[in-house]
Amino acid sequence: MASVVLKGIPVSAGISIGKAFFLSRSHIHKLPRQTLADELILAETARLEAAFKQTKDELTAIRGKLPPELREHALIMDSHLMILSDPKLAGAAKNHVLQLRINAEWALEKAVAEIDAAFNALEDPYFKERMQDVRNVAKRVLGHLAGQQQDMKAIQGRVVLLAHDLTPADTALIEVDKIMSFATVLGGKTSHSGILARSLGIPAVVGVTGLEERIEDGKLVVVDGLKGRVIIDPDEDDLAHYSDMKYQFEGYQSAIIRSCHLPGETIDGYRVVVNANIELFEEVSSVIDNGGEGIGLYRTEFSYMNRTQLPDEDELTEEYFDLASIMAPKKVVIRTLDMGADKFMTHFGTLEESNPAMGLRAIRFCMSHRDLFKTQLRAILRASVVGNVSIMFPMISGLREIRQATNMLRQAKEELKKQGLRFDPDMPVGCMVELPSAVMIAEILAQEVDFFSIGTNDLIQYSLGIDRANRYVSYLYQPLHPAIVRSIKHVVDSAHQAGIEVSLCGEMASDPYCVPILMGMQIDAISLNPQAIPGIKRIVRQATMADCKDLLKQVLESRTVSRTNRLVRDNIFQRFPDELMFYSSLLETDEG
Amino acid sequence: MTRDMQTDETGPELPGGAIAPLRRVVFVLNEQGLHARPAAKLAQEAQKYASEIKIVCNGATVDAKSILDVLTLAAGNGTSLELAAAGPDAAEALDSLARLFKQRFQV
Repeated sequence: MASVVLKGIPVSAGISIGKAFFLSRSHIHKLPRQTLADELILAETARLEAAFKQTKDELTAIRGKLPPELREHALIMDSHLMILSDPKLAGAAKNHVLQLRINAEWALEKAVAEIDAAFNALEDPYFKERMQDVRNVAKRVLGHLAGQQQDMKAIQGRVVLLAHDLTPADTALIEVDKIMSFATVLGGKTSHSGILARSLGIPAVVGVTGLEERIEDGKLVVVDGLKGRVIIDPDEDDLAHYSDMKYQFEGYQSAIIRSCHLPGETIDGYRVVVNANIELFEEVSSVIDNGGEGIGLYRTEFSYMNRTQLPDEDELTEEYFDLASIMAPKKVVIRTLDMGADKFMTHFGTLEESNPAMGLRAIRFCMSHRDLFKTQLRAILRASVVGNVSIMFPMISGLREIRQATNMLRQAKEELKKQGLRFDPDMPVGCMVELPSAVMIAEILAQEVDFFSIGTNDLIQYSLGIDRANRYVSYLYQPLHPAIVRSIKHVVDSAHQAGIEVSLCGEMASDPYCVPILMGMQIDAISLNPQAIPGIKRIVRQATMADCKDLLKQVLESRTVSRTNRLVRDNIFQRFPDELMFYSSLLETDEG
Repeated sequence: MTRDMQTDETGPELPGGAIAPLRRVVFVLNEQGLHARPAAKLAQEAQKYASEIKIVCNGATVDAKSILDVLTLAAGNGTSLELAAAGPDAAEALDSLARLFKQRFQV
């Protein structure tokens, strides 16, 4: 039998070969409408209530098991629980059974249809979308009614998990001793299921069209989390190829893990510090395990989100203090609040902005909420008495903003001094360079701060004028566009001329294809998600500065993105064959 | 278990069935309006009371104990609503719900 290859998006690296287990299909087969005899009606309401009860227990259990990375999903689970017990759903369905004498499935669908009609009449898209929550909840109840408790508990042995979609609730139940990998029809690069797969260290591919139609339980499948493929009914050649690949990848992985604690240094002795980006205190262990040399970006938004009261100064001080002391003497760069755009605080709600990415966000938001900003500055300062803390301001567009921010910092220091509270008076102050305006005046900004951190995700979007989440233009998201390479080079050079350090955070820093170019610019540090550190350190440690400079020279001479991408791929091909085999680059997936 | 006025068959009878409800006008003060979280708080609070509690808004009457009903009001910032409660603890229910609105659901 010929094998079938389905394409998807790789979200967690690795290869697995095993038997398929389908968790949930998009359509649960409905029972036909039945009219019930009198004596069956009470039994039917009991069946309906039992299904609601099972769903409730299920949601409550799942909620309790959510890992810290998915804490915000707990709030989604709460609202699902409320919807579940809502009179318009539970109450109405029961009434339909009693009055219309119909079976539970039909009664439930009828209740959902009534709610749908009410939501459909609304104009505001936010309210309209809540219907999706109702459907999710109803689908679970229907599943219980059908007795199809496609429960992961039913899994025998180790399987490859396949599903239409994995909700946060489903992923939280994944047990590594039963699930060797997973693939789903829905999902994209940033899906929570991918985050979880990476933290569990199992291969995963999402966005696989045709999965449901082609696979049955028990069939042999290969999940290739390196290139984003699912192979159904692999033939002997496929099996030989993938077992070899699996063997090599696992060997490669243990090799990079073994050497990840060595410093980021090229063969010819040039140092590139490899730091970690994190947003939760809990991620510290993963930074240390993966050989992070410090924290190059601590995102501070999490403590402000999903709560109605703002965190107070003591709470924040404790959080930063703990982080700084556990990492000491390694560096911790704390970025001040980067709220707005796609992140909002419950306390302030969402503003009506037609273009939030260019609206009241980050430093601008902080400047319009000075008390809140001051509280954070004081907390960072107070935490700076331990360890090695730096502060960094996001979204700086010009001199005025950086001066306003540093003035606030000075005021905070004076206040603390008056109150007799200790802080490090020489805590380094940096700014993010992520707007084209900041790039253009980098040499001016460099006079005002102690270090730069280039945020490439935003810089690429703002420079090329594309929203990468917009699928119509995402093909234009080109990290190695000549304008981007030149921008980064200009910032690095300006920093070095002024004698300050420059780091880069953003996805480019975790792309093995891009890192040699950044090294050629003699960037001082890069900062990336902890799981990617071992692989990138290996690149750094196997490279020579001479080669990187040579590559950079050619890239700077290139006039087109396609030529640059070719150069970069050739470089990987010649010098880092393992990476060519095991990584799909930002560049590749964009073209594919 | 909460009941629905139109299909009230299973629930206990209200005393007399025809007690005039207490009424109070409130305003949606929080910036984002009755979004999912404020709506959840409102319904949760309403569910603590035995009284039947309705919300009247732009001619529509909905059950305050139903988060789905509250959401379908799509009540934005500045909307005025009328709360109507009938039952043994109607006055307390109105007080506590009005407090929620006043505090912009930040409790």
